[in-house]
Amino acid sequence: MVFLIQQTMLYAVPLMIVALAGVCAERSGVINLALEGTMIFGAFMGVIFVRMFQNAGWTQENGQIIMLISLILTGICGIAFSMLLAFSAINLRADQTIGGTALNMLAPAIVMFFIYMIVQQNTMGMVSGGAAGWFMIKPQTFGLPKGHSWGPIIDLFINKVYLTTYICILIFVVVSIFLYKTKTGLRLRSCGENPQAADSLGINVHKMRYLGVGLSGFLAGVGGFTFSMTTANMTSNGDVAGYGFLALAVMIFGNWTPLNIALGSILFGLFKCIAATYATLDINGDGVYMLNELGLSPYLYRMFPYIITLIVLAFTSKSSRVPKAEGIPYDKGQR
Amino acid sequence: MPRLEPGTGKTKWYRTDGAVAVYSALISILIGMAVGAVIVVVVGLLKPNISPTGIWEGVRLVFLGVFSTGRSGSALSFGFNAVNMGNMLFRAVPLIMTGLSVAVAFKTGLFNIGAAGQYLMGTMGTLSVGLWLGWAGVPTFVAWICAFLAGVILGGLWGAIPGLFKAFLNINEVITCIMTNWIAANLVTWWFDAHEIFKNSAEGGKVGYVIPLKNVGVVTPKMFMDVLFKGSQANGGFWIAVLIAVAMWIMMTKTTFGYELRACGSNRHAAKYAGINDKKNIILSMAIAGCLAAAGASLYYLSGNTEFYWSTYQKLPGEGFNGIPVALLAANHPIGVIFSGIFMSMLNISGIQLKYLTAYNEYISDIIIAVIVYLSAFSMLFKTVLSKKIRKGTGGNVNDEPAQQLKTADEQNAQEEKEIIGDTKNFEEDVMEDYKQLFDESAGIVHAESEEGGQK
Amino acid sequence: MSEYVIEMNHIRKEFPGIVANDDITLQLKKGEIHALLGENGAGKSTLMSVLFGLYQPEAGEIKKDGQVVKIDNPNDATALGIGMVHQHFKLIEVFTVLDNIILGAETTGPMGFLKKKEAREKVIALSEKYGLKVDVDAKVEDITVGMQQRVEILKMLYRDNDILIFDEPTAVLTPQEIDELMEIMRGFAREGKSILFITHKLNEIMAVSDRVTVLRKGKYVGTVNTKDTNKQELSNMMVGRPVQLEIHKKPATPGDVVLKVENLTVPSKIHKNNAVNNVSFEVHAGEILCIAGIDGNGQTELVYGITGLEKASGGKITLLGEDISNASIRKRALAGMSHIPEDRHKHGLILGYTLEQNLVLQKYKEPQFQNHGFIKFDEVRDYADKLIEDFDIRSGQGPITIARSMSGGNQQKAIIARELDRDEPLLVAVQPTRGLDVGAIEYIHSQIVEERDQGQAILLVSLELEEVMGLSDRILVMYEGEIVGEVDPKTTTPEELGLYMSGAKRQGKEAE
Repeated sequence: MVFLIQQTMLYAVPLMIVALAGVCAERSGVINLALEGTMIFGAFMGVIFVRMFQNAGWTQENGQIIMLISLILTGICGIAFSMLLAFSAINLRADQTIGGTALNMLAPAIVMFFIYMIVQQNTMGMVSGGAAGWFMIKPQTFGLPKGHSWGPIIDLFINKVYLTTYICILIFVVVSIFLYKTKTGLRLRSCGENPQAADSLGINVHKMRYLGVGLSGFLAGVGGFTFSMTTANMTSNGDVAGYGFLALAVMIFGNWTPLNIALGSILFGLFKCIAATYATLDINGDGVYMLNELGLSPYLYRMFPYIITLIVLAFTSKSSRVPKAEGIPYDKGQR
Repeated sequence: MPRLEPGTGKTKWYRTDGAVAVYSALISILIGMAVGAVIVVVVGLLKPNISPTGIWEGVRLVFLGVFSTGRSGSALSFGFNAVNMGNMLFRAVPLIMTGLSVAVAFKTGLFNIGAAGQYLMGTMGTLSVGLWLGWAGVPTFVAWICAFLAGVILGGLWGAIPGLFKAFLNINEVITCIMTNWIAANLVTWWFDAHEIFKNSAEGGKVGYVIPLKNVGVVTPKMFMDVLFKGSQANGGFWIAVLIAVAMWIMMTKTTFGYELRACGSNRHAAKYAGINDKKNIILSMAIAGCLAAAGASLYYLSGNTEFYWSTYQKLPGEGFNGIPVALLAANHPIGVIFSGIFMSMLNISGIQLKYLTAYNEYISDIIIAVIVYLSAFSMLFKTVLSKKIRKGTGGNVNDEPAQQLKTADEQNAQEEKEIIGDTKNFEEDVMEDYKQLFDESAGIVHAESEEGGQK
Repeated sequence: MSEYVIEMNHIRKEFPGIVANDDITLQLKKGEIHALLGENGAGKSTLMSVLFGLYQPEAGEIKKDGQVVKIDNPNDATALGIGMVHQHFKLIEVFTVLDNIILGAETTGPMGFLKKKEAREKVIALSEKYGLKVDVDAKVEDITVGMQQRVEILKMLYRDNDILIFDEPTAVLTPQEIDELMEIMRGFAREGKSILFITHKLNEIMAVSDRVTVLRKGKYVGTVNTKDTNKQELSNMMVGRPVQLEIHKKPATPGDVVLKVENLTVPSKIHKNNAVNNVSFEVHAGEILCIAGIDGNGQTELVYGITGLEKASGGKITLLGEDISNASIRKRALAGMSHIPEDRHKHGLILGYTLEQNLVLQKYKEPQFQNHGFIKFDEVRDYADKLIEDFDIRSGQGPITIARSMSGGNQQKAIIARELDRDEPLLVAVQPTRGLDVGAIEYIHSQIVEERDQGQAILLVSLELEEVMGLSDRILVMYEGEIVGEVDPKTTTPEELGLYMSGAKRQGKEAE
């Protein structure tokens, strides 16, 4: 059971972070289709930063610090990347879907170009070691011997997990409070619903949308880093396996509200986990083996998130809480 | 709006909207290539192992890659390269088709980001039916037709799904397209994974590929392309693509069906008011878009020697997304799509030349393409500046500013209104609206969505 | 200290191709209700947007208490105590009433956290003080239009504004609600707040205002004391020539039944009740039947149900003896129905199409214009040229003008040309004169009367009482989706109509 939950979280965490990234942008009225691209860029920059620390002589003992600093730097790179979208969507009032698509094409192109230029192959990893060795929290992190166990409950929380799980929970809390309990959050949401009204009340719609897209870029960058670290062994190959789009599905499934998104990403993470592990690992007592007995193809589990999202869309299209002004450029007119 | 020439009542060709769209596309292309060249230079300067000569070679290949004839001695040589040219046209086929797919949907006010999924479904249909009929010993001509149609129909059905969601539930097609793309990616992988007979196990080192159609002889005829471009992969698929593009142009501009489609795209409510079945047209438009994207895949794999890596569930085919820049560059004009498709293909060829002849790699052409898509956001800016420049100096008209041209009619009315009937609306609101719509259109998309939200 | 709290002197505001405000002066005294009168397009809204900081004028100055001030944005306006209730409410539907009121003027604690408790107390206190009843925790999308307007007023009060602008506030209200609003406005004035009241309705001006400033086609006409003027003088000032408020027409000679509607029911998209509930009536050849009522009482849905734009959930519609209850929109049109839609931009025109393409919007499928699905471009051009001449449609480039670039009046004329030229036995005309000036209104009215005299049946839906009284031969009043009364325009009074429209009076089984 511990394994199943931890595996699920492995997949759910980047999904949740990136889906929350989507919420920040969409609530301000900008469709961020570039989540995938921003993740790809974030994953690449994350690897670059880790390599920089390694090249500078930092060692495995400082793994958590390297991880945290790289994570924040990656987030900042995500902001920079998302500003391309913000500029075209907000200042040029261009179609946001096309702008997002452009970035989704740009990110892998740039990333692949530079990976080839740097390592002359199609995948770039750490200089030495692997993600689990350097960044995973395990008994050694606390100076305990390798095989130490705290018992099943505590193991679940601190043995063989990544710090990003807790960062994700923190992000969830912060985003929820920000959106619903603060002045800026209220204003940001008003720009996604009725920018004309917000403007008439003296709220700077452009500023709010830049904020929304910037936050989104930060979180998507962090999500890309997390994806790379937890599921791709801290490598970058110009691809995040459609996670950005899956996050978009989670966001829609979660009806643009953080709590539902958290639940949705855990559900989708479970599907991902089943699809990835059940055929190869026999984990008795986790119920996964039983699913294997059902004889369903792993591709079916991989499809589930998308199919479920389509079904949910079909049934909730009338009561959907999609931000009303989403995707519509705001024209300040003569001002 | 083009200015009418005094006397003739016609607009000079180089001042028409179409001409301005071409100039604007050319500017995007130039900037995109310049960005590529700048990256080549900067990276070259930063990397100690690339010499100034290497940088200069890289820059030349970015612009002229398709004319590269390899190296003579140590220097790059340029000239007519039949293989490159032929391959360029060959690779243009799927790009033209997905470009048409995106363009036709655009005209109906839909953004078909699902071309990738439709392309995959087309691949699956064509390869499976082609191989199956080939093995069954069906005459190759009949097998070819069936394989082509199987792909096209499957793609059309797949494209119709987002259309159905849009028509009956009013769910944004971009979302459903993204979902159906990934469902298609998994379906196709599942299909080939489950059917061992299609897997190419005969040739060593070909793990994960489907058997190419040339093995069963179901192959598109060359139609003189082998004579024109000796040694290249070019075949009759190119002519078929051109023919389809022309047919699409006729359909969109000359027929009542095209009139209806464009009406739905421009204003779904008004179309409905006029008795046009908006739901039917939206579904049809997406189905046609699906057919076109799938036809691209069919023609590509029916060339025979192209091979399909079937374990595609984590990655969507780039052709699907490259249809977007093809359509954007062509301003959604079906005939323009032929040229922009060839251009995109040329960039690909340049990329390959870069990879083999220099220390750089082929991804530079992807960067250029992405930049061009991004620049479509600026197209309004280009068009405004261009229109100003072109129309300046023609004299005689006070209202040379394009923004003002929009209101010329209003202005005339404002003067006339004293006589009979006049301009009576709330000016400021309409002016705002005009500007907004001007912007939206030049970005290449009609905001069907925002018009629907118009009730506010 | 100046006599005026606000002075707008010689304001000029241009838009490309048009001067919306040309040398306009407006002076507002403290504690007065000052009406701003003008036709659609006269520049009232532009002037108020300038005052509220939404537009910057090209020339002129604004003074507050005698000091020149610069208003760059709504924040500046709010800081000067200027608040505005916009014609189209600026509310966020999914937010609560409280969130809407505090938005943009939030009180916060540390870290930008909202302090809603204090805000809530202040809102409740204000709402009790001025009798503006609202449910602070309800979402705006769930409350009535009247309450939404009270929320807008509370927004101004919450910001301690003392210069209040009301932009066409009565358009969405019932007569009773209008009376209430007037009382509230008078209360504000007594308290020393100054009010600018934008309208084109003369009755309201006479009822509530102290002074009136009149604009016409972007120009300043004059300012008068309300007690020294009368309606006729005001309307002359507004239009620029003596206005004939009456429409000349011969008595109707109704013929056979053309349209018969029986127990029609159309569900609402907004609320759970039916938007149109069990409505029955007949329209005869050669008569103008008018559906009157306050906006939002089911008129729009009734027309949608008849024309097929929306599916009816029950009832029967017969056109010339043919049952069209379940027919498609096109079938209904072919059966003999033409339709001038309520919203010319939403339904009436494809703005991206050329004028000629729009003129064949209802006819492109006819053999005259197509051959095996291929459009006959020459025929289309000839037909468009003919209509353009017959109906005097003006545009920059004739038939190839993009509809979007045409003026509102000419867009409407294009629609009317298209629909009248079809010569169908039934014409459904919904607010055919909305947003047009007097000249255009007169023209359209005469066209409609002419059609009637040729024996067409005309179903007219209008919100303008004057139009209803002047144009129709028979009036049905709709209230909350039902027909509550039928009256004869020759014998009824606006007051009686008002009683029906507000639901205070109804014929039939519950009649007094």
